[in-house]
Amino acid sequence: MEKILITLNINDKPCEVMVYPNDTLLEVLRDELDLTGSKESCGEGVCGSCTIHMDDKPVRSCLTLAMEATGTKIKTVEGLAKGDELSSLQQSFVDHGAVQCGFCTPGMLMSADALLKINSKPDEKTVRKAIAGNICRCTGYTKIVKAVAHAGNSQDHCPDCITFSKAKE
Amino acid sequence: MSDYAIIGKRMPRVDSRAKVMGKAKFTADLKLPGMLVGKIKRSPYAHARILNIDTSKAEALPGVKSVVTGKDTEGVKWGVFAYTRDQEFIQTQKVRYIGDEVAGVAAVDEETALKALDLIEVTYEELPAVFDSMEAMASETELIHGDFPNNINVHVNIDTGNVDENFKKAHYIREDTFVAPEESYFQAEPYAIVARFDHEDCLEIWCPNGGPHMKSKPLSNAFKIPLHKVKVRKIAIGGAFGGRSEICPVDYICALLAKKTKKPVRIQFTREENTIATRQGHAMITTHKTGVDKDGRVLARETTCYMDGGAYSSTGPIATSVPFLSMEQAYRMGSVRYNGYRIYTNKPIRGMIRTHGRGFAAGLDTQLDMIAEHIGIDPVEIRLRNSRQPGEYTSTKSYVDSCAMDETIHKAVEKSRFKEKWGKLPPLHGIGIGTNSVQTGFPMGIRGGSQSFIKFNEDGEATVMSGVVDNGQGNDNMLVQIAAEELGLLPEDIHLVSADTETTSSDPGSYSQVSTFVGGHAVKIAAQNCRAKLFKVASKVLKVSPDKLVAQNRLIFVRDDPEKSIPIKKVVRISLLNFNSVNAEGGYWPKVDMKREWVKNPYGQMCEAFSFGTTIVEVKVDPNTGQVEVLEATAAQDVGYALNPLVLEGQFEGSIAMGGQGGMLTEYHEWNGGRCINPTMLDYKLPLACDMPPKINNIIVESVDPKGPYGAKEAGMSIAMSAAQAYSAAVSNAIGVYMDSFPLTPDKILAAIKSKES
Repeated sequence: MEKILITLNINDKPCEVMVYPNDTLLEVLRDELDLTGSKESCGEGVCGSCTIHMDDKPVRSCLTLAMEATGTKIKTVEGLAKGDELSSLQQSFVDHGAVQCGFCTPGMLMSADALLKINSKPDEKTVRKAIAGNICRCTGYTKIVKAVAHAGNSQDHCPDCITFSKAKE
Repeated sequence: MSDYAIIGKRMPRVDSRAKVMGKAKFTADLKLPGMLVGKIKRSPYAHARILNIDTSKAEALPGVKSVVTGKDTEGVKWGVFAYTRDQEFIQTQKVRYIGDEVAGVAAVDEETALKALDLIEVTYEELPAVFDSMEAMASETELIHGDFPNNINVHVNIDTGNVDENFKKAHYIREDTFVAPEESYFQAEPYAIVARFDHEDCLEIWCPNGGPHMKSKPLSNAFKIPLHKVKVRKIAIGGAFGGRSEICPVDYICALLAKKTKKPVRIQFTREENTIATRQGHAMITTHKTGVDKDGRVLARETTCYMDGGAYSSTGPIATSVPFLSMEQAYRMGSVRYNGYRIYTNKPIRGMIRTHGRGFAAGLDTQLDMIAEHIGIDPVEIRLRNSRQPGEYTSTKSYVDSCAMDETIHKAVEKSRFKEKWGKLPPLHGIGIGTNSVQTGFPMGIRGGSQSFIKFNEDGEATVMSGVVDNGQGNDNMLVQIAAEELGLLPEDIHLVSADTETTSSDPGSYSQVSTFVGGHAVKIAAQNCRAKLFKVASKVLKVSPDKLVAQNRLIFVRDDPEKSIPIKKVVRISLLNFNSVNAEGGYWPKVDMKREWVKNPYGQMCEAFSFGTTIVEVKVDPNTGQVEVLEATAAQDVGYALNPLVLEGQFEGSIAMGGQGGMLTEYHEWNGGRCINPTMLDYKLPLACDMPPKINNIIVESVDPKGPYGAKEAGMSIAMSAAQAYSAAVSNAIGVYMDSFPLTPDKILAAIKSKES
């Protein structure tokens, strides 16, 4: 099998990379482009740890061939923050204690971010459905669900939102 | 207790920023120059004699850099205890389960490594295999390990005396048997190792671990090199849940390949390998016989448990004891006789797991509910009549100091409105309660204590060194919080160096729930010693005695005259100008009975503190599908003192998920012979966000342990352990049948409903 030169648009930057036709997007991101934020946990599209965005839609990068991604806009967890400034969703994950071991976190953030793009104030039930394809073994999901539902605004009934809004003042 | 600046606050964790940015490095993210890919040749047979291994074709394949077999090892066997060393790192004589390590390969890439595995020719003579503990004990075929008759690996016998006499005095006696199959950890991160030997022939190794010092010692034994030549490095860890406590044979194989090739080697487990070839939870068959007086107080109990231990000893003696210990801590038992048998079978190796003994514990609690019904009291009352009280000794003679078991019951009952709901819920609705207790530490001999070193840098910030590891539960943050509190700094001023065996002192590791109690305690003492040095300098400048000083918010000030202050940075610089560096050490060793031994002498002080937890859940069962919907869960735990409620709640909620939702409703392994047929996330049903109860009430109960740092004990495990009991009780209550086979899958629930109808 021969390697082929392709161009991928990742986090708003064009990247030229040599790939085998059977390389998955996840392999290319991790092994060729050093974007190791996207994780492999199950390798069969079940756990959601490798979730990235292709044209703003959440996609399993372990089931996507790198060559399929040419001509699309790819975003990975590394593209969520603006420099050192976390996105409101990332900050909400930190403030709500939604991160424990952190291995599922990148994929979880990408699924949640895709939801927030189409629904900026989702209720908890909607969040649970949107992240149903992301397995977290540590948190029991409660704090993740709150972090996503409250990413856009601080909410009085949530003790962590209160801490956060006070800290910001 | 509320005058702490940083302790007790809802503080976001220090490690979460790197994790949400995708910057945190896990083992599989590491890339070293010249790194090779390693793969493991595993046994396709459950039980077979190895007649010959021919690696010549594999070695001849271009791109293959090394092939290792058992002949390349120093012949050292692994076992947690001197008397359980039964596992070769690479098998030379026999394979004992499907997945046993037979050879290792290092090659330039994964494809070549996989090809090389196929070229290794192993000739086996297949032997009869046994796949369940009862069959294994009765088997007359070749023993799995020749020196263990009836394949009994470990027998723990505990007998407080007077058991038979007390049964004679009992008003009511029941004997019931409960079963549960194996479960798995499914840590988000599949196991991975990177190893290399450096220019000084030191082994440098990165891998998920439950305690770096528990990895370095066996590796130094296996390579017959001094301990200081094994450098287990810190790395982000994607969960452990008890499954990464011991050395994994592949840690050694990866290091051996690195040694042979003189290159870094990385081995990444597939999800299947992570399930099959690390550890699993034990399958258990437990019989509880309980005799009570007319008020439901337990007079005598006899428990016999058969545990399917798989192919090797692993943490066998501990694993055989912990399910019993958790219950003897939670409940007074009058007199008790326990016989725990861990049986070798030709299945994957079983070790410690966060929900260890779900069937054991759920059985004991289910039986209490049966007894309560018989004598006409409710489940809460029978628990309160038997619950552990402070100042008592457990059946195995551990003194219980702080204990708020009753408070966890009362608060959970109140929050869940258990009393209002019990017996009054509509058909197929149910509510159930479970209680449990977990030990904060085990007797671990010379590795039972932890030491910390702290040094101040000239900019007024501090570096804290500790052997404590963070598997994801937030131990790094715990250490930083404690250090910042004691040193009078802000969390961002603390630089943590931890879980690295080159720079940190020995530490017991995270898997006996002891990180805060021992490791956190050591940091607290080191920080206090360091602060005393700061105060000595500051007292001369401020012209007051050191005992009048307070350190907070980067300042040292006079308690009664806060305007009189000096920045800590300035104190450090003054000290340096006077030829004194500001650093200190501190250590903590729990006072346990060193003569206590799991098998030979299971009596005496187990640990200094115990946590206590109560879980209550309310469920609705669909009689057509057997599906259980959990409406609400309430978790109350006596944690001693909450160092960070935000982190604690996360532990409680995660415990409900793993212990209750998954552990009691969906998670188990299926087998075809010795082959696990659901090793992947597709086939093994882990709880998803949409499966979880919409509401989890967290209740933190603080008994303020007199020995714990700030009064803290352990957080979360008593919930993980009691959640299973609550789930099973609630389902039993909903369908009106006491369940005795776990997990409560829809087929079992439908069968139980049907059996009741007929």
